[in-house]
Amino acid sequence: MNKKTFLRMLVGFIIVQAILSIWIDYTLEVGVEEEQGRFVIRNVENPMTIQERITEEFQPDEYRIEKGKPLTIYGSERLYRFFGFFSRNPNKAIYAFQLIRMIIIVDILLLVIAYLTRKKMSMIPTKLQLVFEMMYTFFEDLTRETLGKDKLHFTSYVLTIFLFIWTCNIIGIVPFPGFVEANSNINAPFGMGIMAVLVVHYMSIKHKGFFKYLKGYTEPFFPLAPINFVGEFSKGISISFRLFGNVLGGAIILLVISSLVRFIILPVGLNMFFGLFIGTLQAFVFTMLAMSYIAVEIFD
Amino acid sequence: MEVIVRAAALLGAGVCMGIGALGPGIGQGYVAGKACEGIARSSENSALLTRTMLLGQAVAESTGIYSLVIALLLIFATG
Amino acid sequence: MSFEIGLVHIAAYLGAAVSVSFASLSAGFGEGYTAGLANFALMKQPKASDHLTRGMLVSQAVTETGAIFSLVVALLLIFGGLDGADAGIGKAAALFAGGVAMGLGSVGPGFGSGYAGGYACMALSRMPKKNNEIIGNMLIGQALAQASTIFALVVSLLLLYAIPQTAHLEINEQLLRAFSFIGAGLCIGFGTFGPGTAIGFVAGKASDMMGRYPRERANIMRTMFVGAAVTESTAIYSLVISFLLMYAM
Repeated sequence: MNKKTFLRMLVGFIIVQAILSIWIDYTLEVGVEEEQGRFVIRNVENPMTIQERITEEFQPDEYRIEKGKPLTIYGSERLYRFFGFFSRNPNKAIYAFQLIRMIIIVDILLLVIAYLTRKKMSMIPTKLQLVFEMMYTFFEDLTRETLGKDKLHFTSYVLTIFLFIWTCNIIGIVPFPGFVEANSNINAPFGMGIMAVLVVHYMSIKHKGFFKYLKGYTEPFFPLAPINFVGEFSKGISISFRLFGNVLGGAIILLVISSLVRFIILPVGLNMFFGLFIGTLQAFVFTMLAMSYIAVEIFD
Repeated sequence: MEVIVRAAALLGAGVCMGIGALGPGIGQGYVAGKACEGIARSSENSALLTRTMLLGQAVAESTGIYSLVIALLLIFATG
Repeated sequence: MSFEIGLVHIAAYLGAAVSVSFASLSAGFGEGYTAGLANFALMKQPKASDHLTRGMLVSQAVTETGAIFSLVVALLLIFGGLDGADAGIGKAAALFAGGVAMGLGSVGPGFGSGYAGGYACMALSRMPKKNNEIIGNMLIGQALAQASTIFALVVSLLLLYAIPQTAHLEINEQLLRAFSFIGAGLCIGFGTFGPGTAIGFVAGKASDMMGRYPRERANIMRTMFVGAAVTESTAIYSLVISFLLMYAM
C-alpha cells in the first residue's frame, strides 16, 4: 500500500467519524418498553456534559443517586449490599465492585497465561515461553545488580509486582465496557504501596536486628525521630500516589479530550500513549523503587 | 474572624506544600543527574552510586517532608 | 446578569489568561533552548543534520505538551459553559484556581523538557550513530518530567468539573471552600515547578552521558528511572495536599 492510498483512507475515515460524531449525544437503547410492553431498539438523546461523564466514571454511586437510578449491581440489590460491606461508606458499593472485579480479572488472566506458559516447557522455547524467559532474565539481572548475588530469590517478588501492575495498567486499552484501570482507584496502588513498604521494613529488621532498626529512627540526633517516622510513612504515600496520579491522570485526560474532539482519531493515540507507554513506565518505576528501598536498607 | 483564620490556614497549607516542594525537587534532581554522570563514568561502582544517590535524595527530601507535616497540621489541626 | 454569575465569568477569564500566559512562557523558553543547543551541535557535526533536526523537532513537540494542556484548559474555561447551576464564590474560586494550577504547573516541566532536549541534541552530535537510543532515552526522560504536568492537569480538570457543590452553603462556608480551592491550585502549581525542572535536568544529563558512554546505556537508564521517580515525590506530596484541600473539607 503506498502513501497516497493510505492518506486517502485516513481522510475518509476522519470524515466518516466526523459525520458520525454529530449523533454522539445519542445512545442506542435496546430493551422492553415499560408502557406498551413491546421490544424496541431506538436512539435516545442523551446529552452528557463533561462533568457528568467524569462523575459517571469515577463516582458511579454518586452519579446514580444524582440521576435517581436504582442502586443495584447487575440489577441485584443483594449484590450491591454485599459489596457495600467492603467500603466504609455503604454508598460506594459500585466503585468497590469495579475495583474488585478488575483485580479478579487481572488475576485470572495472569494465572491462565502462567498455566499456558508452563504447560509445555521445552528446551526449544515456544513464543510465549521465550517472552517470559526474556522478562525473567531481565529482572534477574536487575535484582542481581541492585540487591546482590545472595538475594536472587527476590526476582519472583519483583517480577510479580511488575506483572500485576503492568497488566492492571494496560488492560485499560481493551475497548470493552466496564474495563477500567484498577490503579485509577486509590485502594489498589495504596495496597501495593503498603505491601512494598512492609517488605522493606521486614528486610531492615531481619538484616540489622530490631534495636539497631529502632536506633535508625534517631539519626542524626534524637529529637528528629518523629520526622524520620513521617519520612518512612511518606515513602508508602509517594510510591502509591505516583502510580495512582499518573493512571488517573491518563483516564481523566482521555475522557475530557474525547468529549472535546468528539472521539475523532486523537483519543486512540492518547489511549495508546497513556495505556502502553505511561502504564509500562510507571509499573517499572514502582518495581525499581520497591527494590531500591530494600537495597538502601540492607547495605550499610 | 474564625472563618478568616481557617481560610488563611487552608490557603497557607497549599502555599506551604507548593513552595516547599520547590527546593527538594531541584536538589533531588541535581543529585540524580550527577549520579547518572557518575555511573556513566565509572560503571563498576553502579550499585554503590545508586545507594548513595537514594540516601542523598532521602536527606534532601526531609525539608519537603517538613512542609508536608506543616501542611497536614494546617489542614487538620487548626480552627 | 446577577453578581455571582458575573463573578464566575471574571474568574474563568482571569484563570484562562493566567493558564496560557505562564505555560507559554516556559514552553517558549524550553523550545528556544533546545533549538539553540541543536544549532550549536550542528556547528560541531554538520553531517548529522538529519538526526539533529529530527531530535530537535521531537523534543520540541514534547516540550509543548504543557502549553497544549494549558490551551485546552483555557478554551474550556472560556467556551466550556462552566457557569451552570452552581454559581457562587466557591465555583468562581475553583475556576480561577484551575487556571492557576495548570498555568503554574506547566512552567517547571517546560524548562526541564527543554534542557533535556538540548543536551540530547548535543549527545546526537557526538554520537550520531546511536540516535535511536539517545532519542528514546530523551523521550522517556521528558515523559517522566511531564508526569508532573499531568498531575497539574488532573487537579485543574477536577477543579473545573468535579468539585463539591457550594452554592447552597452559608456565605462563611463558601468563603472557606473558595480559599481551600485556591490553595489547592497554588499547591500543585508551585509544587510541580521544582520536580519538573529537576527531572528535566536528570534526563538531560542521562542523554548527554549516553552520547559519551553509549555502552553504559542500561545502567544510565536505570539510574535515571530511580532518580527521576524519587525526585517526583515532592510533586506527589503536593498532589496529595491538593486532593485533601479539595475533598477532605
